[in-house]
Amino acid sequence: MALKKTDGSKLLMAVVCLVAVCSSVPISDLLDRASQGSDKLHALSTIISQDLNSHFPPIGQEIMPRPSMCHTSSLQTPSDKQQTLQVSESDLLSLARSLLQAWSDPLLVLSASANTLHHPDQTSISNQIQELQLHSKSLGDGLDILSGKMGPAAQTISLLPFSGGNDIGQDRISQLINFNFLLSCFRRDSHKIDSFLKVLRCRATKAQPQMC
Amino acid sequence: MMKSVMEVLLLLMLFFTAHAKEKSYSPPEKTTQTRCRSPEKETFTCWWEPGSDGGLPTTYALYYRKENSETVYECPDYHTAGENSCFFNKNDTSIWVNYNISVVATNALGRAFSDPVDIDVVYIVEPNPPEKLTVVVMEDKGWPFLLVSWEPPHKADTRSGWITLIYELRVRLEEEEDDWEMHHAGQQKMFNIFSLRSGGEYLVEVRCKPDHGFWSEWSSTSYVKVPDFFSALIFLILTWLLHMNSHSLKHCILPPVPGPKIKGFDNKLLKNGNSDEIFSALVVPNFPPASASKYEEMLVEYLEVYVPEEPELMLEESKDLLDGCLKSLNSRSDSDSGRGSCNSHTLLMDKCGETKEEERQTNRESSLMETQGWKEEAINHDTSGKVKTWPSVYSPLPQYGSNPLDKQSSLETAKQHSLSTSSFLIQPGTKDALGPSYTDFCLSNKENHLHPQTLAHRALQTRSDVNISNIGCKRSPATEYVEVQRVNKEDMVLLQPVVSRCGHIEGCPNLPKGEDYSKLKGVDCDNRLLLQREGTGEDVCPCVEQETNREGGNCYTSSTVSTTQKPTACMYTAMPLQEETAVTLNGYVDTATMGNLPSC
Repeated sequence: MALKKTDGSKLLMAVVCLVAVCSSVPISDLLDRASQGSDKLHALSTIISQDLNSHFPPIGQEIMPRPSMCHTSSLQTPSDKQQTLQVSESDLLSLARSLLQAWSDPLLVLSASANTLHHPDQTSISNQIQELQLHSKSLGDGLDILSGKMGPAAQTISLLPFSGGNDIGQDRISQLINFNFLLSCFRRDSHKIDSFLKVLRCRATKAQPQMC
Repeated sequence: MMKSVMEVLLLLMLFFTAHAKEKSYSPPEKTTQTRCRSPEKETFTCWWEPGSDGGLPTTYALYYRKENSETVYECPDYHTAGENSCFFNKNDTSIWVNYNISVVATNALGRAFSDPVDIDVVYIVEPNPPEKLTVVVMEDKGWPFLLVSWEPPHKADTRSGWITLIYELRVRLEEEEDDWEMHHAGQQKMFNIFSLRSGGEYLVEVRCKPDHGFWSEWSSTSYVKVPDFFSALIFLILTWLLHMNSHSLKHCILPPVPGPKIKGFDNKLLKNGNSDEIFSALVVPNFPPASASKYEEMLVEYLEVYVPEEPELMLEESKDLLDGCLKSLNSRSDSDSGRGSCNSHTLLMDKCGETKEEERQTNRESSLMETQGWKEEAINHDTSGKVKTWPSVYSPLPQYGSNPLDKQSSLETAKQHSLSTSSFLIQPGTKDALGPSYTDFCLSNKENHLHPQTLAHRALQTRSDVNISNIGCKRSPATEYVEVQRVNKEDMVLLQPVVSRCGHIEGCPNLPKGEDYSKLKGVDCDNRLLLQREGTGEDVCPCVEQETNREGGNCYTSSTVSTTQKPTACMYTAMPLQEETAVTLNGYVDTATMGNLPSC
């Protein structure tokens, strides 16, 4: 009885593996899908930022914390084209994954605080934040699958803890300012992710120049 | 100390001069509209709008600070990008880094700082317009379309994936200004534009945008003219239609004049003037039919028989009459033997005019009576439905049901037979003898034309009946088949018996039943073959004995007569051959080729 079970389970495993291998999507397609996701993510963040800045108190611009204070600024990323193109695929993917992973918690904070945001476009902002969250999640899952196909170096993720906590400010202005700041950090990071993935995509589809 | 004094003095002088001229100087206004753009995410340029200079020469300086440091840098390049600009080259450009830029305007009286601007290079990407725009008019199943293709701006590095560009086209007709048709082309670098107006002139422009940047300017316009396909197509269709219907059109517009044309008439001959040749063409060959041999050919395989009314009459046949009759018959007969015989009938009537009227009547009566009986008998024997030499004997009575098809065909052939045979039926013997016979014969022949089967058959019956009942020959020969041995010099057929199983017994039991044979009953004294009618045995004719060389002439035994049909009736035929041998290849007498029958 037990023997039979093990045999059966082995067979099942073999079948599953076979199916998995047969139905595996090529990396280029996966990358294409991922870059589309990251593009969408960044576009969303840009829209939210624009909405937010349409009715932003001018004083907020001046006292806004510097982007260097983003919690992901510790992560060393290339700062120009030359540097970026020299980074290996695995590292690029690792960077992208790390950045994305770093925002899973802050996005929750953003989403929570969007409900109580004192802003005329609060509802749309709130909805868009929700959407942002979903996209981020699905992209993360996709990148996890990709990393599995790109070697061990791609598997490493740099941890970037978010130290902002759940509180983004007591008063409306500070709330707005903090919200804006967080969003701007996210916007940049999503752009980085998008850029890295698109470079990876172009590298993976050498045979199809129309993808680049 | 001296310097400051000098400066103060200078200022005072200016002040006084200005004042003297009623003019005021002021420090410059701060610059405005600081705008920075990066065409390829590798370099960027900033422009500013200078304000009032305050009447004094003013200088502008751009200062920037990067986000992580407090170091203030001044613009490295004020000239590459033109006036009031600052160009940052690759080395000075960092991405994902905030630049804080401000412009300072300085003149003698003061400075002015512009509002600082925070920029991140990745957000200010505005590429150059696409390059090398080509538009070609192509054809798709007869309809034109524009094949538009271009290249990305040469500075943008799309090959490494650093920049991802998407494109947009716009098209319009030359005469319709501001009525552009937009087409989104995505990342592809070529595009097809359909639904064009034939003969129209089009303007095409293209622009591009990075994935998260600004649209470029529109490229330089490409002009293209679409050939007039539609009218060309219409023209082609019309031409083709005209070509296809050229003949009918020609007929419509210029109807042909019918010209006289005689078949076989050669116009050239006419021109040459040889009338013989010309009219020879008009002569229909083989008309009127000339050769007698044709008839013989037409009458192939027909048995020519005659039935003398009385055996005595046969003895007294009149040669001349026969010849005359025959000749007339021959001359008048043609493919339709009935007709010929009808004609000859008139002739015969004249010649046979001296016949005994009474005899005729009596004979006819008797023959008629006997005909009836004979008829019945004849019918009784028509078991197989084969066509006999007197096919009409059996044919017109359908209730004695032979195979109708056979009958039909047999009827046809019977008709043929009767007609053909009747034409050659001659009555040997004296005038007297001939008279009634001939009359009967002739009459029957004439009536043949109207009722070929019944009358002929009746006539033939009569004769056969008479002949059978009045057989005067002494012999009762055995029935047997003979075959032609040879034809002698006098054109007499020499017969020899085929293996015969019957002897001199009446009613031979084993009558060889060759299909194409008719048994010879006997040969009469005048060398006439007496054929036997085929039957089951009821009316078996006495067998014919073999005889040779009798009375100077040759009395020969029965001969087999082959016909296409099955001649069975006992009949008396005179078949001495004439000049022409009628021996066919298989040794049988071919009666068709027989010409004039001699007088016995």
